[in-house]
Amino acid sequence: MGDLRVAMDIGGTFTDVVVYDEGTGGYRAGKAATTPQDLTRGVVTALESVVGPGDEVGFLVHGTTQGLNALLQRTGARVLLLASAGAADTYHIARGPRERLYDLHYRKPEPLVPLRDVVAVGGRLDAAGAEIEPLDEDAVRRAAARFRAEGFTALAVGYLFSHVNPAHELRTRELLVQELGEDLTVSLSHEAANEWREYERTSSAVLEAYIGPVVQHYLTGLTGTLTRRKATAGAPLHVMQSSGGVISAETARRRPLQTLLSGPVGGTMGGVALARTLRRPNLVCVDMGGTSFDVSLVVDGAPDVAAEARLEGLPVLMSVVDIHTIGAGGGSVAYTEAGGLRVGPRSAGADPGPVCYGRGGTEPTVTDANLVLGRLDGAGFAGGRLPLDADRAEGALGALGERLGLSARAMAEGVCDVANAKMAQAIRTITVSRGIEPNRFSLVAFGGAGPMHSVFLARELGIGEVIVPRFPGALSAWGMLQTEIRRDFAEPYLSRDADLDGADLAARLTRAAERALRSLDSEGVPADRRRARAFVDIRYAAQEYTLTVPLTSPEEPAGADFPRVVAERFAAQHRERYGHANPGAPIEFTTLRVTALGDLGRAAPEPLAAASDPAFPVRHRPVVFGGAPERTAVVARADLRAGHAFAGPAVVTEPTATTVVPPGHRVAVDAFGSLVVQEEAA
Amino acid sequence: MNGANASAGDPRHHPGARGRDGAADGAEHAPGPAVDPVTVEIVRNALIAAADDMNATLMRSAYTPVIYECGDCVVALLDDEHQVLGQSAGLPIFLGNLESCTRATEERFGRDAWRPGDVWILNDSYLGGTHLNDVTIFGPVFVGGELAGFTATRAHWIDVGSKDPGGSMDSVTIFQEGLRMGPQKLVAGGHEVPGVVDTIATNVRFPYPTTGDMNAMVATIRMGQVRLAQIVERFGLATVRAAREEIFRQTEALERAVIARIPDGVYTAEGFLDNDGIDLDTPVAVRLRVTVAGSELTFDVTESADQTTGPVNCGVAQAVSACRVGYKLLVSPDVPGNGGSFRPLHVRVREGSVFGARPPAACQWYFSHLGLLIDLVAKALAPALPDRVAAASHGDSMVVMFAGTDPRVARDYVSLEATLGGWGAWRGSDGQDALINNVNGSLKDLPVEVFEARYPLRVTHYGIRPDSGGPGRWRGGNGVVREYTALADCTVSLWFERSVTPAWGLAGGRDAVGPEVVVNPGRPDERRMLKCNGLPLRAGDVVRCATGGGGGYGDAAERAPEAVRADVLDRQVSPGYAARVYGVSDPVPGAGAEEGVAGQVQS
Repeated sequence: MGDLRVAMDIGGTFTDVVVYDEGTGGYRAGKAATTPQDLTRGVVTALESVVGPGDEVGFLVHGTTQGLNALLQRTGARVLLLASAGAADTYHIARGPRERLYDLHYRKPEPLVPLRDVVAVGGRLDAAGAEIEPLDEDAVRRAAARFRAEGFTALAVGYLFSHVNPAHELRTRELLVQELGEDLTVSLSHEAANEWREYERTSSAVLEAYIGPVVQHYLTGLTGTLTRRKATAGAPLHVMQSSGGVISAETARRRPLQTLLSGPVGGTMGGVALARTLRRPNLVCVDMGGTSFDVSLVVDGAPDVAAEARLEGLPVLMSVVDIHTIGAGGGSVAYTEAGGLRVGPRSAGADPGPVCYGRGGTEPTVTDANLVLGRLDGAGFAGGRLPLDADRAEGALGALGERLGLSARAMAEGVCDVANAKMAQAIRTITVSRGIEPNRFSLVAFGGAGPMHSVFLARELGIGEVIVPRFPGALSAWGMLQTEIRRDFAEPYLSRDADLDGADLAARLTRAAERALRSLDSEGVPADRRRARAFVDIRYAAQEYTLTVPLTSPEEPAGADFPRVVAERFAAQHRERYGHANPGAPIEFTTLRVTALGDLGRAAPEPLAAASDPAFPVRHRPVVFGGAPERTAVVARADLRAGHAFAGPAVVTEPTATTVVPPGHRVAVDAFGSLVVQEEAA
Repeated sequence: MNGANASAGDPRHHPGARGRDGAADGAEHAPGPAVDPVTVEIVRNALIAAADDMNATLMRSAYTPVIYECGDCVVALLDDEHQVLGQSAGLPIFLGNLESCTRATEERFGRDAWRPGDVWILNDSYLGGTHLNDVTIFGPVFVGGELAGFTATRAHWIDVGSKDPGGSMDSVTIFQEGLRMGPQKLVAGGHEVPGVVDTIATNVRFPYPTTGDMNAMVATIRMGQVRLAQIVERFGLATVRAAREEIFRQTEALERAVIARIPDGVYTAEGFLDNDGIDLDTPVAVRLRVTVAGSELTFDVTESADQTTGPVNCGVAQAVSACRVGYKLLVSPDVPGNGGSFRPLHVRVREGSVFGARPPAACQWYFSHLGLLIDLVAKALAPALPDRVAAASHGDSMVVMFAGTDPRVARDYVSLEATLGGWGAWRGSDGQDALINNVNGSLKDLPVEVFEARYPLRVTHYGIRPDSGGPGRWRGGNGVVREYTALADCTVSLWFERSVTPAWGLAGGRDAVGPEVVVNPGRPDERRMLKCNGLPLRAGDVVRCATGGGGGYGDAAERAPEAVRADVLDRQVSPGYAARVYGVSDPVPGAGAEEGVAGQVQS
């Protein structure tokens, strides 16, 4: 087995590859332009930029946007949906909320299947899973005939109470395979998401069917390409999941749903790895690109994982690392409204982009403001591939400033101040809703634009420390090398604590854990590197929302004092999450969860060579802080070694990112090469 | 000139300490002399964010789903003159009536009543405007010994001790509707006022979650106090006040610019509630007269019905809120609300009418006529704002409540659901099918799987109700059919509305079909009704509830035949209806096969 571990992450603009050499303990990074028409091409080009034919790769992990792209561009499969007669409109009723309250022209999220492609199938179970009416097998066969006749490419099946008793859904698949053959994408709702609530479960199954053929085709093609190349021929391909763990490409082909947010979670998992390495358990991770600004939290060393997400307004029940997207970025436009200044959420996007790109943009953006202030180096932007036009940017900001009575420079700083204040407020609201004040966190900044704003954000939030990791543009790929194999399983279990049969619960969990561990057979995890964790979703009786409560082991519920212990654990967690608890009130179990984890070894963090000389090359240029240009140190990140330290004002440059350090702050390079920025004691 | 910035060179320079840029004085839209446009924008966003943080606190810590899931709540920061500085989107019907609570308190007890560390509570319908379940908690914010403003939140409590659990459908006096509190101190100088919480707890049916929600609300206004104090301390009270004037000016200017485009004149609309829930034969008139003069709007509802015996009444404050919702939907849907909002709006209400109820009028269903009033604003102004309006929606909450004992677990239960319906079409788009009504905000329906696990009833049918949306060039959205079969004896209570005035069409579009409830359809004991309180049902009895659609927009004759065929394929429109109403009688390809499918889901 080769000793290179390779992560490949597809982003909107670039595909990043990070290689860890287990022999030398060193990392290298490469990139290539993302090729939206055929993502495989960009992946291979990026790979070849750092992996030669003589290399031998032992582990490959991939973050792909293929499924997400199919969803966003609506280029997924043509899906036929089989639903319970009497409730066949569930997917289109979509539970009926109006998410924008003052919009007379409000529209529901656009469904992935038109109503005409929903087939009502007779057969009904009751809430306990008992059959009231047998499955109408003829209706299933007629649906199969229609599938064939009308050129559908995938099937989803969502029946009432299939999470309690899957017999009708399983029989339906049998019939469909009989009629249509094995080579068929059929997503059963109880397999896509084994939880109650028919709309959300059906939506999960439809989404899986919708992206399934596209993801399957892509992974098959990529696996083939990699297998044909000598360096990667012997390395099994793994895929990053929305949950923050990885699975084999083979499993991902069967369960494509989990690949949906494969790309963005890498950054958060990079944050988790940093939390471990830097011994800072609580992090706010900020990923700022041209058009988006993603915030995620690492709390007590773990990512914030939710059991449900919404994509394009459509619900999906799956474990997913919580990432909050804020409409802000380098492309946010500054403009006036009723004589007042506004910055964003409108964005110039990548095209035409900021004024300074010279692609026809006329409205000044945050990037233009950074350029005019000298915080961004126009010549070195994107490694010098895209020189920026500072005069044009200054002209646009000057014109805006004239309307507001400000000079171009004051306008530029004002635009940055407003953008920073808005981003900081959005971060604070996210933490407040988790019951956290951010000032006990460190802020990790990555992505192209994150390090430029991060110190200002930290100051607004009262955060004392900003960390800019190495390869901030490729943290997401790096994070993928720091994860484990992960499989999540759920099954419903509805019971009040007073009615609980602890032995039965323990037996179910134990069986589920055994199944989960066996699922790692196909992931190539040695038996001694597997472990399973058990959880129960609990809520106060009559509450709607649940908390996922960890158990010490699948057998724990058999213990005599389990009801008391678990109630206390739930109450403690409830207090932390919601600020209050109700000890003694009846609680209700709703869902059992088991997570199987397989340790395939992780890439160790690479220490950066220690500085032999405290000095390093420094240039100077004027950069505007607090209304006036200041003589500011400009440092190339490549020249920095562990132990180097310097004071702001400073700008640290590297090909993919710029770190801006305002006056009053100090930078230290730690043993792993991270920039650690702290406010100087007054 | 650029170096003139007062704090230039100060490495700790904070935007809040920004000096004035000399050039500001000459600017065309120059704000007051004391504050620059960047600071104004930062303060504006900080106030909005402070309200968001209050809302996040309430959502996070509320006990009951009606708050954290349905969003039946609102928060606001007010200045010391009771003007809104920032507020959450919240429930539309609560728009802009938190300030009436602080104002009413000040009018009753004087300005000296405000003391640091105090928290007040109020739910009196005639002051707060809504039903007694809507409780407002508020308190002053002092910074450096000076009254800087107020923070307030209102949320729906699941029970306030009315004669029936949760609220009644047939109350005739407010004394049947529960505990009524005028402005009352809950906390004085940081200490709980002895006895008040106990009094509340002993007057409500579910004291634990109720006091939990109360504590969440107190935490919410405390969060707002901290945030507002931080903003005032960072920028200084004088700067915040100067910024406030400019923020209000911007908001007012944005709204006036829209109104100025409406041709001057008088616009009217009227509609009727079916009845007041007691006298089932007498519709309740709602009449709106809108006068547009320049950039001023006057909404006059004085010609509406006298206050009723049944519970469809409200206080003046709530009538003003409903007018503001109707106004906001058309004039300023995307403008964050603040003290500059609604300045061009004048509301005229008659004391003693359904919109200006006098004690002891019952107010439990205060929102049925308000929902109609909101819809009528769009109807009245449709000729002037054809692109901004939409035809009417199904309109009311369409409440179904079952109560009994669940034999599976031998426990009593009460189910309470609002039912979805169709929304109106607008120029360029069909209306949406199966959406919650305006007054219920972002409420979701109860999944069949949750409903059946929790209550001893089966949902034997739940689907879109074909042919219920109003025809038009753009079709009104369809309502739904939700049919229940009782598995054990129980009672049902119903509040369905808008059969007298179903959702109207606009611009030649036609009206929708109204609601219909049938008990035991097709059986000898079949009964039809739209409202009832505690009707007994036996196991096996069926209740089929159909909600109305939304109105159509434009002449149905102009609807594209392919759109009609698509509706037939989607089972939104039956083939016969397509032929009769739209004149599209050529069979849809494969319609023969479709007929069978349609047959399976028909109501």
